[in-house]
Amino acid sequence: MAYDPLSTALKFGFLAVLFLFLLVIARSAFRDLRRTAQPAPDATGFHAAVGQVEVQRGNDAWLIAERGGGLAHDERFDLIGGLSIGRSKDADVQIDDRYASGIHARLFSREGRHFVEDMNSTNGTQLNGGALSGEAELVDGDTIQIGDTVFRFEAS
Amino acid sequence: MTRARNREMLALIPVALLLTAGFAAVFAQENAKLGNLSLTYGAYFFAVCLATHVYLRIRLPHADPYLFPLMALLIAFGLVMIYRIDESLARNQANWFLFALILFALTIQFLRDYEVLERYRYVIATVGILLLLAPRLPGIGEQVNGAYLGVKVGPISFQPGEFAKIAIVIFLASYLRENREVLIVGARRVLGVTLPPLKHFGPMLVVWGASMFMLVFIRDLGTSLMFFAAFLALLYVATGRFSFVVIGTVLFLVGAWFIFTTVPHVHERVETWLHPYQDGFHGLGAGYQVLQSTFAQADGGLFGKGFGQALITVPGHPSQTMLPVAETDTIYSLIVNELGLFGACGLIATYLLITARGFKIALLANDGFSKLLATGLTAVFAIQAFVIIGGVTRVIPLTGVTLPFVSYGGSSIVANFVLLALLLLVSNRARREAEEGAPRGERDEPLGALT
Repeated sequence: MAYDPLSTALKFGFLAVLFLFLLVIARSAFRDLRRTAQPAPDATGFHAAVGQVEVQRGNDAWLIAERGGGLAHDERFDLIGGLSIGRSKDADVQIDDRYASGIHARLFSREGRHFVEDMNSTNGTQLNGGALSGEAELVDGDTIQIGDTVFRFEAS
Repeated sequence: MTRARNREMLALIPVALLLTAGFAAVFAQENAKLGNLSLTYGAYFFAVCLATHVYLRIRLPHADPYLFPLMALLIAFGLVMIYRIDESLARNQANWFLFALILFALTIQFLRDYEVLERYRYVIATVGILLLLAPRLPGIGEQVNGAYLGVKVGPISFQPGEFAKIAIVIFLASYLRENREVLIVGARRVLGVTLPPLKHFGPMLVVWGASMFMLVFIRDLGTSLMFFAAFLALLYVATGRFSFVVIGTVLFLVGAWFIFTTVPHVHERVETWLHPYQDGFHGLGAGYQVLQSTFAQADGGLFGKGFGQALITVPGHPSQTMLPVAETDTIYSLIVNELGLFGACGLIATYLLITARGFKIALLANDGFSKLLATGLTAVFAIQAFVIIGGVTRVIPLTGVTLPFVSYGGSSIVANFVLLALLLLVSNRARREAEEGAPRGERDEPLGALT
């Protein structure tokens, strides 16, 4: 095999361009990693569902359907990682209620305590019969009403 | 966002340069002179990529900027290497590349609302399974090296498994989005291991059974492994339970072991992998391909022998191959032989970066289906690359899966471009929403070194 300077030069040139190109893209990827190190607020609770599963152990909480919304009586939803309630098909608890907004309210847990928050719904959310503004902490037995749909909160 | 698209355009320049340099080196080796032809090919390639880029600029202005250039790089690798093996094959491959780009554009055109896929998930799943089974149908099935992977209808033959992988990922993503919560909530701990609820354990067993069935039916360990691993990746992302992955892996290993002991063809493949020398080295025994492939890689050294220098046939005996099926199965070994360890690292890094971009798309996506779809497509792509590179490096038994975008083969290129189209669709929506949701400027990616 004859030694061919041109071929060798092209080979090393190829490798050099290849690695420079990959390096630039990798740099951009690393920068992304650093930025996503702090998890973005996640409306669907998709990642929260993954992260908080272990934390929640032994501190279970449920949202239980009482009446309305096209849900079965006593249907239970685990609060793991938070729940969104609304008419939209993206809501974790999808309710069929004409007074409900797409994403009407959400339930979430923070440091072992549980909260309900109205998501700027059109017709508002009622907590134990009173209007809810912003977020409020939930205790066992609270009732949450959205339109004609009533839920009970249960914590153990 | 035009900034993302500008970065995509700039990133295509080095890719076209690499293709030109590769062709120049191959020509220099063959004709001992440098013609204008490599520049012409480079210009053609750049023009085609640029046209695709302009289409993306119009249709998906927010999509990930680096995914397309990275895949174009793999195409460039493939075209140069296939040209170096056989000119006419490279011409076919280039035609397939153009055809794949048309299909890529059509996918983007007609699937802008890719959520409709969710509505047809059972149809899609059925089509996927039929595609997988097609190679065993009498009349159209085609057996290659004992595995049933190809279908031949008239003059056209293709590998339906390449398309089935996309269909099955779409189905799993849609199914798991709906059922992920019940899988977590109903889980029970038995002996310190989290077990999924029995009722929902069913689907997992069905998928496991299907991949075992495929192993027996198609007789290809690689395809079976690819599907099952993609399923486990999706299951893990959907539920966040590592124990599910462990259970799945154990199930797969047990099943694969059982089939290894009972199905002769699979047994043979594994034996060839473990003891390649059993038929003796001088004859063209079962271990010839995998042995020659590993020797070719070792022969490449750190920087390789240079483009066009690898021996594909025995000098003086063109009918006797040194590197069997170099254009598909062992194309990775050919690249390592000619570009060395550094070339191999570059190629693997390209696959890794594509995988990283894909998972980043999944992270950015806002709804469950998009997240799972992006994860599944990325996982199946990455695992396919692993299965074939692992095969030729003797990490796992060698199978007939293609090296995505590099190997010669129309179905592989077309299917992978459809996969890319879906990833870019998810990415476009996710990044657009991220930009609209965040205060102006805050979510803009910092300028890359390319801009």
